[in-house]
Amino acid sequence: MLTIFKRDFLAYFRTPVGYVFLGVFAALTGVIFYLGNLATLSGELLIFLSQLTMLIMLLTPVLTMRLLCEERQRRTDQLLLTSPISLTRIVLGKYLAATAVLLIAIALTNVCVLVIAMYGTVYPGEWFVGYLGFTLQAMAFLALDMFVTGFTRNPVSAAIAAFAANFLFWMTDLLADKVGVPFVADTLRFVSLYDRYEPFIIGQLSFASLLYFVTFIALCLIATVRVMDARRFSQGGAA
Amino acid sequence: MIEVEQVSKRYGSVEALKNVTLRAPKGRVLGLLGQNGAGKTTLINIITGYLAPSEGRALIDGHDPLLEPDLARRELGYLPEHPPLYDEMTVEEYLAFAAALKLVRRDAIPAHIREIMVKTGLLEMRERLLGHLSKGYRQRVGVAQALCGDPDTLVLDEPTAGLDPKQITEIRALIRRLSAGKTILFSSHNLAEVRQLCDHVVILHRGEVRLDAPIGDVGQQDGITLQCTVQGSERRLLAAMAHLDGVRDVCAQPACAEDEVCLTLRFDRGALPEKQVFTLCSALSAPILRMTRCEDDLEQAFLRAISE
Repeated sequence: MLTIFKRDFLAYFRTPVGYVFLGVFAALTGVIFYLGNLATLSGELLIFLSQLTMLIMLLTPVLTMRLLCEERQRRTDQLLLTSPISLTRIVLGKYLAATAVLLIAIALTNVCVLVIAMYGTVYPGEWFVGYLGFTLQAMAFLALDMFVTGFTRNPVSAAIAAFAANFLFWMTDLLADKVGVPFVADTLRFVSLYDRYEPFIIGQLSFASLLYFVTFIALCLIATVRVMDARRFSQGGAA
Repeated sequence: MIEVEQVSKRYGSVEALKNVTLRAPKGRVLGLLGQNGAGKTTLINIITGYLAPSEGRALIDGHDPLLEPDLARRELGYLPEHPPLYDEMTVEEYLAFAAALKLVRRDAIPAHIREIMVKTGLLEMRERLLGHLSKGYRQRVGVAQALCGDPDTLVLDEPTAGLDPKQITEIRALIRRLSAGKTILFSSHNLAEVRQLCDHVVILHRGEVRLDAPIGDVGQQDGITLQCTVQGSERRLLAAMAHLDGVRDVCAQPACAEDEVCLTLRFDRGALPEKQVFTLCSALSAPILRMTRCEDDLEQAFLRAISE
């Protein structure tokens, strides 16, 4: 797993993908911080983080689109899938590599926190809860994207499908309001990533949400392993 | 050792492999021949565990790569048709990665990959990015990654495809060097290559095994064909040669010079045609200008196998 993690993590920075992701994320974070905090003289850290959700939803597919699709496209998956390393370790290694790049991006947003701290007050508890929720939500998007990209061979299609999936899971609570069947509405509300993130926006450490995010990530990764394994039985090979 | 037991593979209604059974014992080089679309790559993908068969199973040293991947694949080195290279890595980094995937001990990796680079002639290229290598070197790196972990079994899918004649010679020489003590299965379109390198040949056609025989036996069921150009009377030579031991038929074709005759003689298996022809021509005072045993047995066997 460490071997896969190391290779994939370094690959982000040996190709433009890692730099483009971090650069675009940092630049757009700056714009959002300026519009939401500096221009309005607001010191709201949690609101600032919640506004970054759309950015994360948009950009996590960039990280995942290469993980499985590009391996299939370049046929390097044949090296991985005929090695003694298990599929679970391959998927985990790749997921952790993408997560590491994501964590660098999230860590960079602390520059904005420093600015808020310079001109206002940042409470450690608020910082901890805000970043915990935001990071878990971002990791959930990443896991969902990885699962979705497991179905496609083309990285661009993978990125589009992943963004669509992110958007769908984020806004299912809005759909729930329009659905008349209570069971369906409850289910949609239950799976909504936005609903699960909401407690963190108001500074609550919600263990139910924590459990939900961790379970969501685990299920997506297990499903990714199953998709890759099932592909051995279909036409195009496992990854 | 590679064992394939009654393997079939279906893609929807298309049957890519039909009940394929073959065996490559330890220390043997098995050549897999077939036209494009014959099922060679599908069979190789099943042997390596990249694909699952619809029926049957493939074993590497007695282990199923799907059920016991760690045991089966540890002893497997695989060079796919397109070497699986990460263009952004250097040769040395890539081989270290491949060695780590094969579970080589971390502290043993530098010495291990150095040995492989020496064996495959890549030492001078170790700092080069894979994306900057020529096709021949990329193929060598592909072979080198297959050697990581010192596997007992090597599966090489068309290792010389698309290479220039010099590169082909180098890769063949490399395979010949590696063949000592390892089980090697390789697919090829090149009959001469299979003849040079293999102990055993399997011909696949439309997903079926059409021929499975030691290379020495291929084509021998038709006997031995000898072509010779002799100086002398055609009638006299034909009459004399028709009485040689084990001769099936003799025919003459027009030769370049007027007093020369080109003869094609077909003998039973086990006959000693060259010795008999030489002795006879010597007794008839008919100088032999050229004598060749036909080496296209494999080609004939291949054409027969795919036309049946």
